[in-house]
Amino acid sequence: MIRETVALTKRELLRLARNPQALATSLLLPILYLLLFGQGFNLGARLPAAEVEPLILGSPTYFSYFAAGMAGFVAVTATLFIGANVIFDKLFGILKRIASTPASATSIFAARLIAGSIQPIGLAFLVLGLAVGLGHLGLSGLEVTAAVGPVGAGEIVLAVVILSLMFASLFLAIGFSIEQPQTYFAVVNAINLPVLLTSAALYPWGFMPSWLQNIAAYNPVTLAVEVIRINLFAAAPAAYPHPAWFYLLGLLGWAVAMGALATALARRALGPRH
Amino acid sequence: MAQGNTNPGEIVADQLVKTFNGTVHAVRGVSFEVRAGEIYGFLGPNGAGKTTTVSMLTAGLQPTSGQAQVDGLDVRRQAEAVKRRIGIVFQESTADGDLTGRENLELAAALYSVPRGAVKARVEGLLERMQIGEAADRLAKTYSGGMRRRLELAAGIVHSPKVLFLDEPTLGLDPQGRAGFWKYVLELRKEHEMTVFVTTHYLDEADGMCDRIAIIDHGQIVATGTPGELKDRLGGDIVTVRPTAAPPTLVDVLGRVPGVTSVTPQDGAFRLKCANGEALVPAIVSACAAAGVGLQGVSLKRPSLDEVFLEFTGREFREDEGPTATDRAVMVGRVRERFGGRR
Repeated sequence: MIRETVALTKRELLRLARNPQALATSLLLPILYLLLFGQGFNLGARLPAAEVEPLILGSPTYFSYFAAGMAGFVAVTATLFIGANVIFDKLFGILKRIASTPASATSIFAARLIAGSIQPIGLAFLVLGLAVGLGHLGLSGLEVTAAVGPVGAGEIVLAVVILSLMFASLFLAIGFSIEQPQTYFAVVNAINLPVLLTSAALYPWGFMPSWLQNIAAYNPVTLAVEVIRINLFAAAPAAYPHPAWFYLLGLLGWAVAMGALATALARRALGPRH
Repeated sequence: MAQGNTNPGEIVADQLVKTFNGTVHAVRGVSFEVRAGEIYGFLGPNGAGKTTTVSMLTAGLQPTSGQAQVDGLDVRRQAEAVKRRIGIVFQESTADGDLTGRENLELAAALYSVPRGAVKARVEGLLERMQIGEAADRLAKTYSGGMRRRLELAAGIVHSPKVLFLDEPTLGLDPQGRAGFWKYVLELRKEHEMTVFVTTHYLDEADGMCDRIAIIDHGQIVATGTPGELKDRLGGDIVTVRPTAAPPTLVDVLGRVPGVTSVTPQDGAFRLKCANGEALVPAIVSACAAAGVGLQGVSLKRPSLDEVFLEFTGREFREDEGPTATDRAVMVGRVRERFGGRR
């Protein structure tokens, strides 16, 4: 099974490497958000710091709060194409050939999950790096005010990886279950947008009405972003009611539930046809 | 029907049924046995149930009822083992266009668990054999139709299967491409003593390449046998008489012509079977003249699979796509001459 998974992962990575346009386009989203949206919607630069600080829970500036949120936002959004690629492979008959071989459904699924998650995870960290870099260019940038130790760094990596993997596996399972690209994008947008817009990735926490705060507190994107903020900003741990590991645990709970749903969907789609 | 005790390389289907959504009866109980090492053709028009049958035999589709064994394994209960023992070439192109020919074969070798040490030699050998050696490191999406088919064939046999399934393998290829494809299939069959199960709606392909044929129509097998046996069952030549007007007595008039063994009215014409049609045509024309029946035309056909199909289904066989009948006749002749279609 390992050999099949490795061979199929290699195939996915080769295809990714041979499509530099897609890779380049995927960089556009974080760059545009940080350079345009982040600079234009920079609440911290216009409002008195004393007014902004309570709204962003210990983050030094709104842009810093926003940049950490963008990492979570990108880790989810960049997984959208993972299922679409499955549908295109179905339309081109490639999946039919792979399914006709003895390769197990687990290998077929795992290879795509591994190869497909590398890009979103990479982009999330690129967002953080780029946001720090912008600060050195005279623009608003991400200010890391805490001393990030190995545990903190590990928690950040785990949060991004878990968040990406759980949405990648869900979108992958949906891709295996759906035949048309149009239907796929309609379905995943119906999931992606509500998830992002009910999270605390971009809104200042204090701006949200309490009913939205109540929803956002349980949102997996919020949980992942909170782990990042608590570890990057010195004043954040005091502003949040729980430590980072607590939110990480919540995220893990989500991942288990979503993983189970994805497995059930994928089993149905990849098993023998009836 | 033999159950659970098939020999290596054999295919046995017993009352296979496939119904989709409870209403679409794609396959309505087909039974047949394919002997080890033979080329067995499933001949039928589009929509006859050929691909559905292949999908069930290759463990890609669960039968609604019935059983099948391939190479001694049950396709329902031992699906993974069945997949390991067989090779498949689909009617559509399934090679990965973003990988090179070599990468496609290496991937197939890994998925079929070809021993690691043997992969390089096996892949190189197949690339040379299928004449894609020079293009081996080009992306498969740049290949011509014929090359892609040969790559599909190579991917289907990279693990040296005992049974090879070809589902309309030459659909859309030009005569040269078809001839090339069959050349390799015949060679491989000979070398590896592979059983080959091929579906086709090309009559001449079935006639020229297959040891035995099953004719399938509306999900049911209507006749099986060697191409020769099937044609022999027609009882000789077919003379079709098309009168300007047909008096009710014409069947009797034609039936009384010495040498005519049967008369079947069909769409305003009459199909006559006889041992030597050419010699009998003058007598048939004379008999019609004597009975005062005017004729629009008289045609003579030697036994062919078209006629066999008409005989068993009551309908003309229509090949909806692909090259013309003449192109294909040339192709079959060429291949048969060089490699011998039947054993």
